[in-house]
Amino acid sequence: MRRPAAKVAGGSIRKDETAPSRGRFINTGNGPTLQPIDIGHSDYLALIDPDTAFWSLVQKDQVGSVLSGGPFDRAQGPKLLGAYRRKAAAFGAEMEKLRFGLKPSAVYFNPTERCNLDCRYCYIPSEMRRHGRHMTREQLMEAMARLDKYFDATLPKEMKPQIVFHGAEPLLNREAVFAGIEAYKKRFLFGIQTNATTLDEEALSFLTERGVSLGLSLDAANPAVAQRTRRTWDGKGVFDTVVKAMRRLRGYENWSVICTVTKENLRHLNDLVDFFHAEEVPTCLLNIVRCTLPPAREIKPGDAEAAKYFLAALERSHELYRKTGRKLVVANFANILLAIVAPAARRLMCDISPCGGGRCFFALAPNGDLFPCSEFIGIPRFKGGNLFRDDLGNVLKSEAFRLVTERRIEVIEPCRRCAIRHFCGSPCPAEAHEMNGGMNRTGAFCEFYEEQVRYAFRLIADQQADDYLWDDWDKDLRQSFAMS
Amino acid sequence: MKGAKKAVIAVRKSCKARGTGLSHYILMAKRSK
Repeated sequence: MRRPAAKVAGGSIRKDETAPSRGRFINTGNGPTLQPIDIGHSDYLALIDPDTAFWSLVQKDQVGSVLSGGPFDRAQGPKLLGAYRRKAAAFGAEMEKLRFGLKPSAVYFNPTERCNLDCRYCYIPSEMRRHGRHMTREQLMEAMARLDKYFDATLPKEMKPQIVFHGAEPLLNREAVFAGIEAYKKRFLFGIQTNATTLDEEALSFLTERGVSLGLSLDAANPAVAQRTRRTWDGKGVFDTVVKAMRRLRGYENWSVICTVTKENLRHLNDLVDFFHAEEVPTCLLNIVRCTLPPAREIKPGDAEAAKYFLAALERSHELYRKTGRKLVVANFANILLAIVAPAARRLMCDISPCGGGRCFFALAPNGDLFPCSEFIGIPRFKGGNLFRDDLGNVLKSEAFRLVTERRIEVIEPCRRCAIRHFCGSPCPAEAHEMNGGMNRTGAFCEFYEEQVRYAFRLIADQQADDYLWDDWDKDLRQSFAMS
Repeated sequence: MKGAKKAVIAVRKSCKARGTGLSHYILMAKRSK
């Protein structure tokens, strides 16, 4: 009997077409590749098939038994292997679809080059942010019309595309942005990532009444620490203004706060988690600083130190949940948990290879130029075309976009040998290119991601993973494997 | 709970990948309850 074959990631060769092996044994012939990984747990070790992102946690003193001499299925070999073998092809296909079969459905829409802040890690060049241009209202409406037409032709009717107004600071061009939201509120899901400095009562009413998702930015619970990275052009902090906006948003469901983690605020993450929880922030992101531009690299923390304080902050969020029954979801970590327990349900696309840049979403600059991701705005090589002049379908196939969409983890060292490569994804291509010298290089961090994945597995081993996820995270999911 | 430890834990959930993922921003749509 021929076993169901697993697809080789990124290609169409099937393992059972390459050799006359029935694949009964792990790590030989056509057998599953299950790499043992120390997750730092007292009782469990992980066995991972990197290509399909299949994993199991096995008690350390039973690994040998489970893999060879344990409960044995006569037709399929050891029970775990037999059960996995029956699913391997489906899991391989699931990863193939996730990595190579998706269409863009979201746009980072930059309606202005300008910003009233000069944050130290911003990936938009400072000259643009200081003296750049706004998109006119007419240009913005034309851009919306073109995007609407494109998505109408490419996405299933039941799927609404997403537009996230991003920056620079999108609300500096508020009149045009609000006009666009009003005109297209039935056609797109809208979000705005804002520094909150102009988010007054009138703006909040307009946005919350229309269900617009809001992302604010705040880097610390202490004004002096927050000001180290986020400040006006003349060096003043904006802590009080942001907190005022946060308080106005209490009770609204669709908002979150992003903290960019740098060496300036790393030691203060626990205080920030306390603060966010007390302020009833429903979701936050503790995003490690992107080191695309040189100024950001000056405040880059080391991997081990970043992991230590980041994981402590996660622990703190869990303590608060246990104490109060109310969650503060740390969405970027929740996404790693999702990548492990339900790979296709992940919501953020930095931690998969190829990343989402240019294939799940793209970025629009105020002059209509198109880039695979906002991280590339300001790097001319990655301009794929212009929304007002070029066919969007052709832009997505341009060489500039393919540099990113074809960056596969299988050609990056050491990621190509790494068992957790589909839980990390080797972000970020912009960092790889600008900081480390090429698209086939890693980004700014490695061990930081390793430690998050190991921590996630420990939570699964201790049956605590649900505590770190949104309450309804598995509502629309089906169980495709269960062994315990 | 030491005695209740399972020999093997392996769970996977699936859905149709829709590609709505973003990068560093997360679009909250009534998912934070």
